[in-house]
Amino acid sequence: MSNSTIVGQVNKVRKIVVSEFVSLDGVIEDPGGSEKSKHGGWTMPYWSDEIGKFKFDELFGSDTLLLGRVTYQGFADAWPSRTDEQGFAQRMNGLPKYVVSTTLDEVEWNNSKLIKGDVAKEVSKLKQQPGRDILIAGSGELVHELMKHDLIDEYRLLVYPVVLGSGKRLFAEGTKANLKLLEARTFASGVVLLRYQH
Amino acid sequence: MRNVIWLVHTSLDGFVTGPNGEMDWIRLDDELFEDVHALVSTADTALFGRVTYQLMEGYWPTAANRPTATKHDIEHSQWLNPALKIVFSRILKKAQWQNTKIVAENIRDEMAKLKEQPGKNLILFASPNLASTFMNLDLIDEYRFNVNPIVLGRGKALFTDQRSLNKLKLLESKTYKTGVVKLHYSRTGE
Repeated sequence: MSNSTIVGQVNKVRKIVVSEFVSLDGVIEDPGGSEKSKHGGWTMPYWSDEIGKFKFDELFGSDTLLLGRVTYQGFADAWPSRTDEQGFAQRMNGLPKYVVSTTLDEVEWNNSKLIKGDVAKEVSKLKQQPGRDILIAGSGELVHELMKHDLIDEYRLLVYPVVLGSGKRLFAEGTKANLKLLEARTFASGVVLLRYQH
Repeated sequence: MRNVIWLVHTSLDGFVTGPNGEMDWIRLDDELFEDVHALVSTADTALFGRVTYQLMEGYWPTAANRPTATKHDIEHSQWLNPALKIVFSRILKKAQWQNTKIVAENIRDEMAKLKEQPGKNLILFASPNLASTFMNLDLIDEYRFNVNPIVLGRGKALFTDQRSLNKLKLLESKTYKTGVVKLHYSRTGE
């Protein structure tokens, strides 16, 4: 299948896409190492241009980021000072961002808005607005909450060939879902993209 | 050298059965069975934990004789029933199924002895607790996960007690028509 399937289209009802780096045992914690957790940075040895291209297409196919507090804070620390030739950082910094948090009172990263209160209701409203995909990265607790309300339309899981043994997990205990496989794509470094529709 | 290959069906969220042992969500079809047959034809020994063994013992000895027996039932029976079967259990004292050996302790030594003997590969079927023990002892050479497109939420975990980071090497991935994805890994050798 072509990359065009990753590039979001303008739809009447927007898709919520969850995109994660995930270990073979389902852990999504600290893939890049910025949180200094036990196994932090476990994706780093497998980075490749192919994965970079995939993340690039995905980011440019989306026009909104939806983030939980922990992921937001990591991103807000890292991205404002970054630049790159392809414009990835510029896009991260420029895109509208919705941050779900019960504890934050303000969000300072450019073009960020806080969602407090009824998350499911606010996210449902967001889906009704015209636009491209709404992209969630990391944000484990937010994913758990949205799964409970059947608000996630697509999962893009980059499965890394490591078993970590501990750490925060993508799927919460007790939440069920029947999915449809859209695509499985192998990257040369041993990472497999599994793409599912809910 | 004979390889130990762990073959297991899993949900996307890493469960091998539902909370009450449910396995009806596992998508099996001829395409997948063909791959299983190709795999077992490289092997002459089946390895089990007690729970998986008992489940299999209740089905396979007579599976080919049932009126409803499928092609897979017949072919897999022809391999599994005569194959050497090793159950790793401290509880199980005797086994009825032909050619079964019970190993109660010293897994590492038993496996070292087995691997030194001439023969074909050894397949560890499901048995997640035993697989974790094997992983912690670095006894698994290859991993064959059949990932089903379902999130179960609860059940028996695929990975139960990993004590260290395990880095693997992807050998192959394959998509079946059912939406199952086969992920085939080996140990990295690092």
